[in-house]
Amino acid sequence: MSILRIGLGVQILLYVFSLRSDWNYLLGGTGRGLISRELTEALLSLESSIIPRFGWFISLAKQFGVDETIVLSLGWYLLALGAIFLLIGLYSRVAAVAVWFLYLCSVKSGGPISYGVDALTTTGLFYLMLSPLPDKFSLDHIWRKKFTDWKFLGFWRRALQLHLCLIYFFSGLTKALGRDWWNGINLWRSLIRPPFDLIPADILVRFKYLFPVAGIAVLALEITYPVCIWIPKLRRPWLIAILLMHVGIGLAMGMYLFALIMIVLNLAAFGPEILWHKNVSAEHFTSEVAAPAA
Amino acid sequence: MRRKNLCLAWLALHLFFIAAISVRQLSWLIANGLTIIPFSRVASESPNEKASSTTAKPASSNPAKQLLVGYLHCAGIEGAYGFFAPNVPENYKLAFEFHNQDASSEYDLPSVDSRAAELRLGSLLDVIGRSDSERYRRILIRMLTSAAWENHPEAVSVHAVFGKLKLPGPMQFERGVTPSYEFIAAYDFERSADSKSK
Repeated sequence: MSILRIGLGVQILLYVFSLRSDWNYLLGGTGRGLISRELTEALLSLESSIIPRFGWFISLAKQFGVDETIVLSLGWYLLALGAIFLLIGLYSRVAAVAVWFLYLCSVKSGGPISYGVDALTTTGLFYLMLSPLPDKFSLDHIWRKKFTDWKFLGFWRRALQLHLCLIYFFSGLTKALGRDWWNGINLWRSLIRPPFDLIPADILVRFKYLFPVAGIAVLALEITYPVCIWIPKLRRPWLIAILLMHVGIGLAMGMYLFALIMIVLNLAAFGPEILWHKNVSAEHFTSEVAAPAA
Repeated sequence: MRRKNLCLAWLALHLFFIAAISVRQLSWLIANGLTIIPFSRVASESPNEKASSTTAKPASSNPAKQLLVGYLHCAGIEGAYGFFAPNVPENYKLAFEFHNQDASSEYDLPSVDSRAAELRLGSLLDVIGRSDSERYRRILIRMLTSAAWENHPEAVSVHAVFGKLKLPGPMQFERGVTPSYEFIAAYDFERSADSKSK
């Protein structure tokens, strides 16, 4: 869980700082922002009224004469502070819950300006919040001498592993059902489509014969992930290939946050077992959860 | 022992939700003829299903359903995982033509400061483009127009044009084909005494 905690701390810090100049504009109310936060929150209420949102605090603050910009700015600072605490592992549990809650508020209040990275980060924070904390590399453990019961650590790692398997399987399967992933056109389009067009099209076109191969490789890598990641001889190359794919997406398309969250989730789920050959998951899961069930 | 069983039951249910949401999305894609699997669109499509695909889900007074949907959102599992699948989405564009009182015109685009926000703006335009609800689309475009109007305080009316960029394939690109713009819809808004647009 150290990898997940540190990785998510970095992810949230990059998220808040990358949106610093646009934060209030993206989340502002009617007439103050890009779109109306009130509208997105009203649509959210149609789905469920219990989903966290900044509107709750803004309504409360209004009763005390506090402006929404102050509440939104405070939300930004608290999220940044929470991410720093998460990164260093100080008051880990409180930081994990607070960051999950504030991140969810920002994503849900943003409504249609959110995309895939937000759901994946929420998922990572959700698992982290419920995991045994503090971990052994946190300041809570090293400095404050706080200890926790790690017996369920393997359970949460297994949950993340299985979740990743489902993500890649369905992502690969959906790609396989698209005609243009087989001929490379989708890969080409994703690379020349603004705002992902970091590499000029006249350079990309020189590799046009590689696109069909790369497109098939991407969907094959994803669709077989749930099987190959468990086969001893294949798991290491598969994990490395998936990590390289995400590095490639980050660099070639400028989707740095998306690449980072996928790398963090993969490393947290499978890194210790596969890359460092540390059998933490099996030890805890087998002894504490899987064995009684079996 | 009881805690372990509860944990396993929760995990099974949690994974079931993830799989069920993904299967539902996949079925919708197949039923709407968006995949390579041949499927009669007319026979399969239900207007309610189509509308619920891109717009807000209908209100539910059922507390259990509200709780379940709330849980899915809180766990980040409310949506399916089809990144750029089955096909890369269209590249939607919105452009504004502001008209001043002296009959001069100014052109603008929705803008944000950072690249991170630019990716989110692109996501918003995708939502507008994919929306089956003309009303929802119009509301969002009106809001984007209002935001851009701040940079054009002298403008009295605006013509907002929404369209999509048709990108050439690699072979077409080599033949010199450039991206083309395809018109989808246009909207006119006027500044009134009490509101910016109508």
